[in-house]
Amino acid sequence: MQVSIATTSGLERCMTIGVPAAEVEQKVTAELKKLARGRRIDGFRPGKVPPAVIKRLFGKQARYEAIYQQMQQSFFAAVQENNVKLAGMPYFEPTVDEDGKDLEFKATYEVYPEVTLGDFAALQVEQKTAQVSDDDVEKMVDTLRKQSTRWSESSEAAASGDRVVIDFEGFIDGSAFEGGKANAYTLVLGSNSMIPGFEDGLVGAAAGSEVTLDVTFPEGYHKEELKGKPAQFKVKVSKVEKGELPVMDSEFFKSFGVESSTEEEFRAEIRSNMERELKRALRTLTKNQVIEGLKAANPIEVPAALINQEVDRLRRQAVQQFGGGQQFDFNQLPAEIFKPQAESRVVVGLLMSTAIEAADMKPSEEKVSELIEEIAATYQEPEEVRNYYLNNAQQKSQIEALALEEQLVEKILAAAAVTVVESSYEDVIRAANANQSA
Amino acid sequence: MIRERIYKVLVAPQISEKATWVAEKYGQYVFRVAPDATKPEIKEAVEALFEVKVDSVRVVNIKGKTKRTVRGVGKRNDVRKAYVTLAAGQDIDFTDAE
Repeated sequence: MQVSIATTSGLERCMTIGVPAAEVEQKVTAELKKLARGRRIDGFRPGKVPPAVIKRLFGKQARYEAIYQQMQQSFFAAVQENNVKLAGMPYFEPTVDEDGKDLEFKATYEVYPEVTLGDFAALQVEQKTAQVSDDDVEKMVDTLRKQSTRWSESSEAAASGDRVVIDFEGFIDGSAFEGGKANAYTLVLGSNSMIPGFEDGLVGAAAGSEVTLDVTFPEGYHKEELKGKPAQFKVKVSKVEKGELPVMDSEFFKSFGVESSTEEEFRAEIRSNMERELKRALRTLTKNQVIEGLKAANPIEVPAALINQEVDRLRRQAVQQFGGGQQFDFNQLPAEIFKPQAESRVVVGLLMSTAIEAADMKPSEEKVSELIEEIAATYQEPEEVRNYYLNNAQQKSQIEALALEEQLVEKILAAAAVTVVESSYEDVIRAANANQSA
Repeated sequence: MIRERIYKVLVAPQISEKATWVAEKYGQYVFRVAPDATKPEIKEAVEALFEVKVDSVRVVNIKGKTKRTVRGVGKRNDVRKAYVTLAAGQDIDFTDAE
């Protein structure tokens, strides 16, 4: 078997392999036998078909399959022999394919890029720190209370902060427009969910009253034909409800799953939740920074085959998320949307694995148990969760991979130029959420 | 012989264990032929259609089986076969023909 490798472009390689005729012949004969076994052929008793006849009938098909097998086999043998880091599936093309002649074929494939990591010290990482302040806790408690506001009907005129139930119809130049009509619409005044001027105009209206509002659609409105247009809304208020914030009692605490009777305990619980959230957000942010830095410092070219694989995986995930089910073919989703994400994921994956390999890192026991502990803490029964992760090999390996990633990030952080930036709880959480959805 | 007759003489190649065997051993090729085909006709048709030299032709008539059913006695069609011996060194490949 002679092998020669040529670089065609970038990461693409072309391998030309020659296989002796005898070897191919053997494969073809074996394939013929397999094809004819148990087959009924008119004019012959089963098992009594002469080889010549079989060859005449199935020769082409057998040769095709045999050659395909042979190409794969000798290609992968060559890959092992030449230490090729193969990425994705190769593409085969026979150049000499004739009976009695040596088989020669070309295999086009891509290889993993040679990744040499730069010094971690060159990385610039901005590490954010933040504390949960009393103000933050206060704000959170406020939000929680607002969420469970109790509404009660009132005959008084509506004020800002009240909830109204309205029927309305909108007109532009005296004619109704599409989407400008609703019945029994629930609206909290001052929530700024309608266009400017609408909610203000309803302040002071009592139940049963009818109001006509002159408002102008803002320039930034999402409907093209309504942008900047003056409109008239006829609004009928059918109900005005006053809100009442819940009292801070054990019943209120219970609705959030906190079994305590004093406000301090509740606050402490909320605080610890927020702190956990903050810790996670900070870690995500730092990790993203490290990864971004790593990516920027080590530009590499990645094989298209890997990107395509990743695109497919992302597409399948997207279909599952949207509940497409079995009938929906994920190939219908355009590949372009997923390409940038897929590419960056492949790059990051490659860089990470190279870095881990280079440093010869193993997931440390403490890190793994720490991570499990952290996940378990958010559940009702931490003990069960802990056991689940420890006794499930697949779950455990996932955690181990995560731990390895964390360790790498820590290692890079230790080496990189870190600038510490003070930040607030809210900013950090918002940034982390934005990062996740991106 | 008229051109059209050539296409009517040979009905189909007879593919069977025996046909393969005689082809290999004696260079004889077996055809089903029209019931009224004569040996010279067959020779001419084979030579014209497969572009080979025919040495000799032997024919055999096989009587169709009589089949009895509820509706009485029936008879299958008779079959006339021709064993065509080609001149030494010649052969016919049925996959290319037709």
